[in-house]
Amino acid sequence: MKKKTLALLVTASLGGSILAGCSGGDEAASSDGVTKIEFWAAPNPTQQVYWEEMANKFEEENDHIDIEVSPMKESPTSEASIQTAIAGKSAPTMSENINRGFAAQLAQSQALVPLNEIEGWDELVANRNMEDTIQTWKFSDDNQYVLPIYSNPMLFGWRIDILEEVGVTETPRTYSEVLEAAKKLKEKYPDKYVWAKPDLADPTAWKRWFDFFMLYDAASGGNNFIEGDNFVADDQAGVDVLTFMDDLRAEKGILTKEATDPFESGLGIFTDLGPWTFSYWEEKFPEMKFGETFDLALPPVPDSTDLENVNTFADTKGIVIYASATEEERAAALEFLNWVYENPDHDLEWLETTKLPPARDDLSENESFTTFFEENPELKPYAEAVPYAIPSIDNAKYNELQTHIGSHAVNPVVEGTVAPKEGWEAMKKAIEEELSR
Amino acid sequence: MKKNGLKGSGWLFASPYLFYALVFFLIPLVWSFYLALTDWNLISPVYNFIGLDNFIEAVKHPGVQAAFFVTFKFMAAFVPMVIVSSLTVALVINSLPRFKGLFLIGFFLPYLASGVVSSLIVKGLLSYNSPLNTFLRGTFGLDIDWLNSPLSALLVVAGIIAWKFTGYYALILTAGFASISKEVYEAAAIDGVTPSQQFFRITLPLLYPALFTTLILSIGVSFGIFTEVYQLTGGGPNYATNTWQMEIFKQAFTNLNAGYASAVAIIASIVTFVAILLIRKLLEVWGRRNGWV
Repeated sequence: MKKKTLALLVTASLGGSILAGCSGGDEAASSDGVTKIEFWAAPNPTQQVYWEEMANKFEEENDHIDIEVSPMKESPTSEASIQTAIAGKSAPTMSENINRGFAAQLAQSQALVPLNEIEGWDELVANRNMEDTIQTWKFSDDNQYVLPIYSNPMLFGWRIDILEEVGVTETPRTYSEVLEAAKKLKEKYPDKYVWAKPDLADPTAWKRWFDFFMLYDAASGGNNFIEGDNFVADDQAGVDVLTFMDDLRAEKGILTKEATDPFESGLGIFTDLGPWTFSYWEEKFPEMKFGETFDLALPPVPDSTDLENVNTFADTKGIVIYASATEEERAAALEFLNWVYENPDHDLEWLETTKLPPARDDLSENESFTTFFEENPELKPYAEAVPYAIPSIDNAKYNELQTHIGSHAVNPVVEGTVAPKEGWEAMKKAIEEELSR
Repeated sequence: MKKNGLKGSGWLFASPYLFYALVFFLIPLVWSFYLALTDWNLISPVYNFIGLDNFIEAVKHPGVQAAFFVTFKFMAAFVPMVIVSSLTVALVINSLPRFKGLFLIGFFLPYLASGVVSSLIVKGLLSYNSPLNTFLRGTFGLDIDWLNSPLSALLVVAGIIAWKFTGYYALILTAGFASISKEVYEAAAIDGVTPSQQFFRITLPLLYPALFTTLILSIGVSFGIFTEVYQLTGGGPNYATNTWQMEIFKQAFTNLNAGYASAVAIIASIVTFVAILLIRKLLEVWGRRNGWV
């Protein structure tokens, strides 16, 4: 009997200790008048270093807030880590690296705090000079859930050295000009392609940001694709984009097979480029020189479109504050963000560290950034395009919706199995069905 | 009284495992059944009990239907590949006069390699402008779209996994070879059996227990493929490599449909359990019919 009692006691204590180990160790949000906040930085060393430095500088001036910066886990993706952290009630106070679509998923699940409801938000937007940029970030419920940190207006890179070799002296800006360039390229180099990109045949949702949405935003003049739960896309612009892809395929200008560094090797002469590419090129492809081997351009547009102020897709991410944060933590988080963004030098430091354009309206005019862009001319086109860049759709089903764009329209059209109009109609039907569920 | 004491000690020693099984298997299992009956995404404070809707939707979904068939296609490609290659490796190593252990370790190393790294290497090797494809196009006029055509994508993934597991299964089969008495072969040699008769009449029947183990293990692997597919094809083209794990991952962590993903996971578990049970029975019948068991 004693042994039985002993066994039970041991089992209970063992269980208790394991359960204690499993508990989150809910720390007090505030002690000795100091509010502790946890900030998950993007899972890359440069952004982590930047935020640690900002937190240290802030703490030197503000001893009532303690900011703990740590990198976001990727197991296997940062979105999955955030989801499990929220489910496990171990979400941080705030995190960066959130795109608009994922923010919509989180907001629909009431996991985010509307930033516009926290005192100091308007001041932050005004101080950072981002009143125009933030407008495109407003969600369909009129709230702002994300503070955009950077906005990468996605541009297309052209191999101007190869274009010159085939007799094209001006970077193509319209669909006809691109098709003309394709003909000349294939005449001289039958083994080269205009657009060598395996992602064109892949239905994965996020891949549409870097092909379809760049072209659609340009062709439609920035017309929304989805508003709330309604499909509001410009049908003509959509069909034009797919027809352009189909025409390019017919000219044998598209390669969708897996290829290693197709643009850098000259296998393809046209590709989407973000500002993050250039630091990588400096190390791996020093021969890629802006203005010599490649040039940057806004997406090509249908022939009849105005070539001024062409829109493009904005690859942009920002900071959110999680609903699990206490009022005190939310206020502390916004105080920290206000401190960071009231000084343009902090955005300059961000730009120098990450090469990602800060999401501000005055990026190409503010004197704080002039020297930087003079030293990095390849980044200037990005700064100039910030006002015309359209962020991703804010629907919680963005993954399913964008997968339909790939599987019904873009993928079969570039493979030549579906006609553009037919693909567009099939995609539209699938999206409308998805939205009505 | 003594018997009761022994019982107490038994519970005491089993308690860590029982507790572990309760916390990490039983509770999550019950929880996932509950989750599968809701439309919860794990993070929203609001969710509804929707009965069997997730299960009904899942069986109609092309991704789930593809996962069901793709698993068996993988099995049809992967199991023969890995059994033939591991058996060959085991036969070769078994015939070596020395350094058997060293070679076994060499073949075992891919098992320890990261699936992500090996997938990325294969992706590079099979890219359009790789030396292999440039050679195939230039010499034979062969332009193979390895990862975008349904059959080759499936074979590539099966090949990577077979490469990874060959050394591991060869280790099991080598142990099986070691258990076969040399005297049997000596007696057969005196009776004048040919090498092929020796393999099919002596080696294979006596190796059956080890072969049975590797077959069951490899069939189990076919139901759990994820990393290679995630890295190389994302489940495409057109669901041609969409495995159960890939579908569950997409629904749970990309589309945030945790309840639905739970239903898919339960369906996958049932299919896996039934399939392995049936295949195991068939293998046992096959072994008994040949007098190997």
